[in-house]
Amino acid sequence: MPSTQNPPLSGAALDPTSVRPPIDDATIERIAPAQLRARLEALKAEGYAMLLDLGAVDYLERRPRFDVVYHLLKLPPKPATLSEVGTPARLRLLCGIDEGQRLPTAMDIWKSADWAEREIYDLFGIVFDGHADLRRIQMPLDWEGHPLRKDYPTRGPARERSPRPAFASKTNVVAGTPPSGRTLEALQEEVKRARES
Amino acid sequence: MTLSVNPAMPEVVSQSENTMVLSMGPQHPSTHGVLQIVLEIDSENVVKADPEIGYLHTGIEKTAEGLFWTQAQTALERMDYLAPSSNALGYALAAEKLLGITDRIPPRAQVVRVLQMELTRIASHCVWLGTHGIDLGAISVFFYCFDLRENILDLQEATGGARMHPNYIRIGGLNGDLPQGYIERLDAVIEKFPGRLRELRGLLQANPIFQDRTIDVGVLTPEEALQWSVTGPALRASGIAYDVRRAFPYCGYETYQFDIPTRVEADAYARFLVRLDEMEESMRIVEQARKRLDTPGPVMIDDPKVALPPKETIALSMEALIHHFKLISEGFRVPPGDVYHAIEGPRGELGYYLVSNGENRPYRVRVRPPSLYNLQALKGIAPGNLIADLVVMIGSLDPVFGEVDR
Amino acid sequence: MAVGPGGFMLARVDDVARWAQSSSVWPLTMGLACCAIEMMSVTSAEYDIARLGSEVFRSSPRQADLMIVSGRVAQKMAPVIKRLYDQMADPKWVISMGACASSGGMFDNYAIVQGVDTVIPVDVYVPGCPPTPDGLLYAVNLIQQQIREGGRGGIFVRA
Repeated sequence: MPSTQNPPLSGAALDPTSVRPPIDDATIERIAPAQLRARLEALKAEGYAMLLDLGAVDYLERRPRFDVVYHLLKLPPKPATLSEVGTPARLRLLCGIDEGQRLPTAMDIWKSADWAEREIYDLFGIVFDGHADLRRIQMPLDWEGHPLRKDYPTRGPARERSPRPAFASKTNVVAGTPPSGRTLEALQEEVKRARES
Repeated sequence: MTLSVNPAMPEVVSQSENTMVLSMGPQHPSTHGVLQIVLEIDSENVVKADPEIGYLHTGIEKTAEGLFWTQAQTALERMDYLAPSSNALGYALAAEKLLGITDRIPPRAQVVRVLQMELTRIASHCVWLGTHGIDLGAISVFFYCFDLRENILDLQEATGGARMHPNYIRIGGLNGDLPQGYIERLDAVIEKFPGRLRELRGLLQANPIFQDRTIDVGVLTPEEALQWSVTGPALRASGIAYDVRRAFPYCGYETYQFDIPTRVEADAYARFLVRLDEMEESMRIVEQARKRLDTPGPVMIDDPKVALPPKETIALSMEALIHHFKLISEGFRVPPGDVYHAIEGPRGELGYYLVSNGENRPYRVRVRPPSLYNLQALKGIAPGNLIADLVVMIGSLDPVFGEVDR
Repeated sequence: MAVGPGGFMLARVDDVARWAQSSSVWPLTMGLACCAIEMMSVTSAEYDIARLGSEVFRSSPRQADLMIVSGRVAQKMAPVIKRLYDQMADPKWVISMGACASSGGMFDNYAIVQGVDTVIPVDVYVPGCPPTPDGLLYAVNLIQQQIREGGRGGIFVRA
């Protein structure tokens, strides 16, 4: 919640992918969900033979909320020796989608997208259309909630309100909450109830 | 038919016509950790193998989002627990790229980082070979391998204080210089290694039973390997010479002389040979790094905004005290941006996609786990083989479940 | 135990049973994470748990009497551990090895069970991340002490 202690985010704090620090790690491309499938097929045909990784990031206050990130590697065909491999090219494809939006699967382009997409569905709740078997992979099948979302508490919803030692890190506590955990209003409520009883 | 098994009840689920569905794991002597494979078998032949993971999901990535940049490393180090320094190195290099201090890391720190990385690679391959041998019934190999590993763990304990998770490689350099007596112990390990590797080769390489069980088993063609995003020794055993140390060098790897062993047979025996050859190449790098250790120098970057000031200066200098206080209580802030940096871990390309939004905590740490993609290839290579071959295949792909599940 | 006339040895049956049980504690391979590697180091030649009697680590719970929970227990794995513990035959003992198994360790989050003793009863806790193999050897020594000195074990079933 915005307050004087938590001003609303803007610029790079809101969307870290909008700044480009001087790092030469990959070619970066941002794409809309509607063109994603065509672009992935084109890249595969261009020689990006390996889908290195497929991950997601939750930018809670940004619209679109999620970024699904494809890391691709371009290798020469059948490189048997080191000199043939040379320096492969890396590409990072970022696709921003909103809550509730679905993405097409990449499973039939690169088989390794199978588990990666299942993990994104499990931990972020992003659904991939056309996936053969989209079910949870890391959490138990009957788990509720998507743990890596930013609004999911780190300690899990069941233990969020449980007492914990004072020296534990207060990652789930809203800024402005006093160390006792109780706000002034709650304290006044308690006093009032104690006086009435 | 979708195989869905309630993980709490691993028993025979269905039996139709000729095939039987059997759950192998999650507690099993040969699955190298907590892996459940839902096997559809026709007598001894595997018709379909569907690995189920998640039995070690620790929420490391989520935990790292709530810790300072230096604290997150302790959680991330416990992913690939056979080669902990490799996790630390990849994370430190990626964070240093975001901080923009990659060029200012002292050369001695880079040399020691390479040394730690290669020693931990040898230690990891020792565990792989020992457990692979146990799976196949060659139990003596385990003891030889772990004896070598004990020497390396002694060295790691000397640097960071702990045998397995030394937390020695930090963002900005190292925790401290190598202790007294380290070089002599390292020399002793370097001396012992060739004889021990000869013994390991002698135990298994020409053993006809081992060859019968691993040759032509689990063949992973290069096209399949690329489709399944397999990296590391398994990819190099299929004929594709992709090694991150050569393709995208880091830590000065371009200045070391070493070969990248590659084979074309692409079976479990080829992966075995590649890993043994890799241990030899790692020791070559260790010897070269050892020579560079003779020149002294700083091991941590000289930037008070990132690195703790030397302990001796805290009582004398006000700035040092303030920096120390701020770094311990708040940690340093990393400029916003995202970076992908990968290193060559013992299992393949260990990549870190770090996102920072300017705060003193990582916004997102996405780890590219090599074992996850290597293990997924099992779905492709298992069908048509015997269950006993499945055990060989899992061993040759060398998964670590701390990394697969995170 | 006393040696009587004619070469007979006298002892209580319960004591002999406890002596046998404590000298041959066979662990179950419940290696989960990093602590499992230290558990494997304990079986290696340097630390050698076999000299304490743990000659083999049985994979089948029916044949093991000690469960060493070594590593972090994820939410998905907790029912499996409970099931394996139920499948072990009495008398059985449990060592919770490492910080993660004892209390959740450094992973105070949604995914890790905060202490395996919320799922099964534990006899000995071993601190460390991971504990050195010496620590695990000491834990097995404590289990042996527990077996010899009372509680579970022996020839008579105690509730």
